[in-house]
Amino acid sequence: MTAETDNILEIDAIEVIYDSVIAAVHDVSLTVPRGKIVALLGGNGAGKSTTLKAVSTMLAAERGMVTKGTITYDGTPVKTQNPAEMVGLGMVQVLEGRRCFGHLTVEENIIAGAYSRRLSKQEIRAELEKIYGYFNRLKDRRRSQAGFTSGGEQQMVAVARAMMAKPKMLLLDEPSMGLAPQLVAEIFNIVNELNQKEGVSILLAEQNTNVALRNADYGYIIETGHVMLHGTAKSLLNDEKVKDLYLGISKEGRKNFRDVLRKESALRPDLHQG
Amino acid sequence: MIEFLFFIEVVVAGLLAGTMYSLVALGFVLIYKASSTFNFAQGAMVFFAVLAFVGFMELGLPFVVSFFVTILLMGLVGFCTERLVLKPLMNQSEDTLLMATIGLGFVLEGLAQAAWGVEVRRLDLGIGDFPIPWIMDSAGLFISALDLTAGLVSAILIIVLALIFKYTKMGLGLRAVADDPGAASSIGIPLGNIMLLVWTAAGIVALVAGMMWGARAGVQFALVDLALKALPVLIIGGFSSIPGAIVGGLIIGASEKVLEVYVGPYFGGAIEGWAPYVLAIFFLLWRPEGLYGEKIIRRV
Ligand SMILES: Nc1ncnc2c1ncn2[C@@H]1O[C@H](COP(=O)(O)OP(=O)(O)O)[C@@H](O)[C@H]1O
Ligand SMILES: [Mg+2]
Repeated sequence: MTAETDNILEIDAIEVIYDSVIAAVHDVSLTVPRGKIVALLGGNGAGKSTTLKAVSTMLAAERGMVTKGTITYDGTPVKTQNPAEMVGLGMVQVLEGRRCFGHLTVEENIIAGAYSRRLSKQEIRAELEKIYGYFNRLKDRRRSQAGFTSGGEQQMVAVARAMMAKPKMLLLDEPSMGLAPQLVAEIFNIVNELNQKEGVSILLAEQNTNVALRNADYGYIIETGHVMLHGTAKSLLNDEKVKDLYLGISKEGRKNFRDVLRKESALRPDLHQG
Repeated sequence: MIEFLFFIEVVVAGLLAGTMYSLVALGFVLIYKASSTFNFAQGAMVFFAVLAFVGFMELGLPFVVSFFVTILLMGLVGFCTERLVLKPLMNQSEDTLLMATIGLGFVLEGLAQAAWGVEVRRLDLGIGDFPIPWIMDSAGLFISALDLTAGLVSAILIIVLALIFKYTKMGLGLRAVADDPGAASSIGIPLGNIMLLVWTAAGIVALVAGMMWGARAGVQFALVDLALKALPVLIIGGFSSIPGAIVGGLIIGASEKVLEVYVGPYFGGAIEGWAPYVLAIFFLLWRPEGLYGEKIIRRV
């Protein structure tokens, strides 16, 4: 493996604009090393989903465009591809809000994930069994209509469905959203297992900084479309500013990262900014 | 007894005609499911398809060849619609799409008449509109051979389509797109191909419906309006339900014939034209979401 393919994903200084006027991402650069889990952290509206959609090319369907910078996935520039082509290249996004096919059964949902692959009936069954090995809960619910399953189960369906496409890289958008801590832990365990056993690289957007960093190798914190801080998950978990602003261990109320950095950089010019 | 047999005859004729309404309504439902828009061009597609078919027959092509060439042509219409109309409008509102289908309807009507002229054509399927002797002898019922054929052909086509949707990969893709196009796209289901399939299927449905009606009443512009009979069917059955389209069509077919025969005389006859709409309005008051209208499933 050459040095440049050590990173499965490289995002270099992208700017993203919706409707030709609304800038949602100003300057985001990040890399995902092959086989690693990278967390993209930030509050509501920070630009996490927009960044993921730039990578999966789902942006076009929302009238968004990458206007500056480059994205390189597995050595290939991401430019004019469409989502189906990206899936073909092994890049699958799990959209925010689970987005199951409500009228389809759990099993039909998962099988739909294999749409881009040419598999025989037997191969699909074998793949299904493998997936159920990770998502035991879904096996019992296989015949249920997905729209009537619980939030946690729907999130599992969404991830299981994406895994059926046999991705090299998963983009997970806020898998913890609206779920009880117990379920969040269960889902992150599965995600970690998929990363370890299937070798799938993961870019994970989360507001839940604590859980995300505990399950990731590396983290990027973004605010209003700019990378504010990045580092190994461990270093971020121990970072005073991160503790202060994102981990709820703050004495004062939650502030803006930008303000804290500005105040501190006046005192310490060596601060590593994104 | 004679009275009762006559009633049965009326109902059977109505049900058989109803399968035709089901078929046309199915065309609407398919496109509604895939692109959440009411396809106003469906009537024009019926007219365009059957006129093309008759046109190919007149060129001397055999029946079967004409049939499949027309299906290819409807696939081409679907392809152009997807590329030139739906794709550019992909992110527009559903109202915009609706207007686009109205425009498409005019284009198809114009094209059909420019290519094949405006006069009424005869379409002879080799099946007469006369009572079938053995049913007459055994059950004493007068059932038209053409009605029966049309009913059976429609029923078979509907069943085949329903099986395709339930059990094939393509059908799974279509149902996924109907539920959530964004999510479908995110796992690599190509929306464009699904749209193309849906429009081709709607084209086949339009062709078969047009042939059955054309054989009875001649191939003419009035087919466009006849196809709008699907509207009360959809109000009764629900816009997004395949079983709804089937049952709705049968209800409209049977009740309009019964009303025509038993109630019509009090109104001076010919109530077939508007009775379905009155029925639909009563239905709308009773069950606005339609018989099979799916309650929207909320995502937890
Ligand atoms: N489809 C869209 N059209 C216009 N603006 C959008 C669209 N999606 C997101 N935005 C805007 O872009 C910014 C970033 O949004 P998003 O990427 O969804 O943030 P996050 O996922 O971090 O919550 C927000 O200000 C949001 O309002
Ligand atoms: Mg988001």
